[in-house]
Amino acid sequence: MDANIENKLKLMLQGHLKYTSDNLAFNMLIKKLQRKIEENPESIDICIEEIDIFADKYSKIVATDFARIAAL
Amino acid sequence: MLLTLEETIDLIKKGRMLHIAADDSLLAQLPAGQWIGGTTPYLITEEGAIHTKEKLSVTAIDYAEEVRTAVYGKYNVFQIVEECYEDGLTMLIMPFGAEVTTKYAKEAPEVEELLMHPTVGWVSGFDLEEGGEAKVYDGTTGKSYTDRAVAMYIKLPEGKNAVINIVNIFEDDKTDPIITFPDNTLDVRTCSVNGQEVVFADYIRRKGINTQMPLVADYNGVYINTSIKAVEDGKVSLYAPVFKGQGYRFATEVSDYVAKFDEKIKMAGAVTPVFSCNCILNYMYGGLQGKKTPPYVGPITFGEIAYQLINQTLVYCEIE
Repeated sequence: MDANIENKLKLMLQGHLKYTSDNLAFNMLIKKLQRKIEENPESIDICIEEIDIFADKYSKIVATDFARIAAL
Repeated sequence: MLLTLEETIDLIKKGRMLHIAADDSLLAQLPAGQWIGGTTPYLITEEGAIHTKEKLSVTAIDYAEEVRTAVYGKYNVFQIVEECYEDGLTMLIMPFGAEVTTKYAKEAPEVEELLMHPTVGWVSGFDLEEGGEAKVYDGTTGKSYTDRAVAMYIKLPEGKNAVINIVNIFEDDKTDPIITFPDNTLDVRTCSVNGQEVVFADYIRRKGINTQMPLVADYNGVYINTSIKAVEDGKVSLYAPVFKGQGYRFATEVSDYVAKFDEKIKMAGAVTPVFSCNCILNYMYGGLQGKKTPPYVGPITFGEIAYQLINQTLVYCEIE
């Protein structure tokens, strides 16, 4: 994953950066991981891995989101 | 498409892969074949929402390479994430009031991998005037169940993805206090309002809240609804659970459901849904009988599944 996108995703997961996708599953995933990080802040790298797996599987769908997130 | 019993039987006999929603009196007459179904006499058609015991809402799953069906109880319903096609769509129907439905409602958001496997569906019901039992049908065996969920695993052609989305007419008022709950539950006694513990039923009464409006939770900018079933004996019963750690607000009043749906459907842009459903509470509270919500047709349901169980929402799926 591109370092810029990873950094932005970390900020999103920590609640410091706001981005809403057009994709319901992606938004649900972000919400789920935000809760996970609230409970255990050290889990952030595992959460990024989860997004990476999701992005690998749905690369066509997530490509738009990653482009928008990179531009934030 | 809205079909007669004979037309539906004809499609089944031709070996078409189908999703069917209709009154139980019709589903019970269908022959075995490649279909799953759920009971509801309330349907959204191209001509508007109707109540019928003469027609069936039939969705052809022509976009599938192949399908498999499976039936699950409360102890194994989450096997759906293991048994689905890796690149596919799972269509799930569960009966209203069944333990498997409660289990799914409470635990789905925490199931690892669920968001990796597009899962769409609905909760079956019955005629509210006459009562009855909510059922699901596994068409491959012709058996019906009141206590099981039925899944159709749909294999998609290579390069295709199922994309599930919602149309939600409800919004919150950001100046309202945030409500949180101590557990994942369908029956609430206490909650916390801006950090202060209160009896939820008392809070609703004291604030004069219209309980036809759902609780809404912000999922990264998308609102997910939880509807109030009843407020009695100091307890608030819900149609879908609230979750510990999640903040909620009551939705602001919607006076014209049809206009609001029109507005939100336009905002969603042009879509080509292969499946859609809308909630019985929108049908009842919003007076949707006879009203159209194009391009969305399908069952009017007792709960909607967009990965997890949600309420008072139009759910749809596209193949991209």
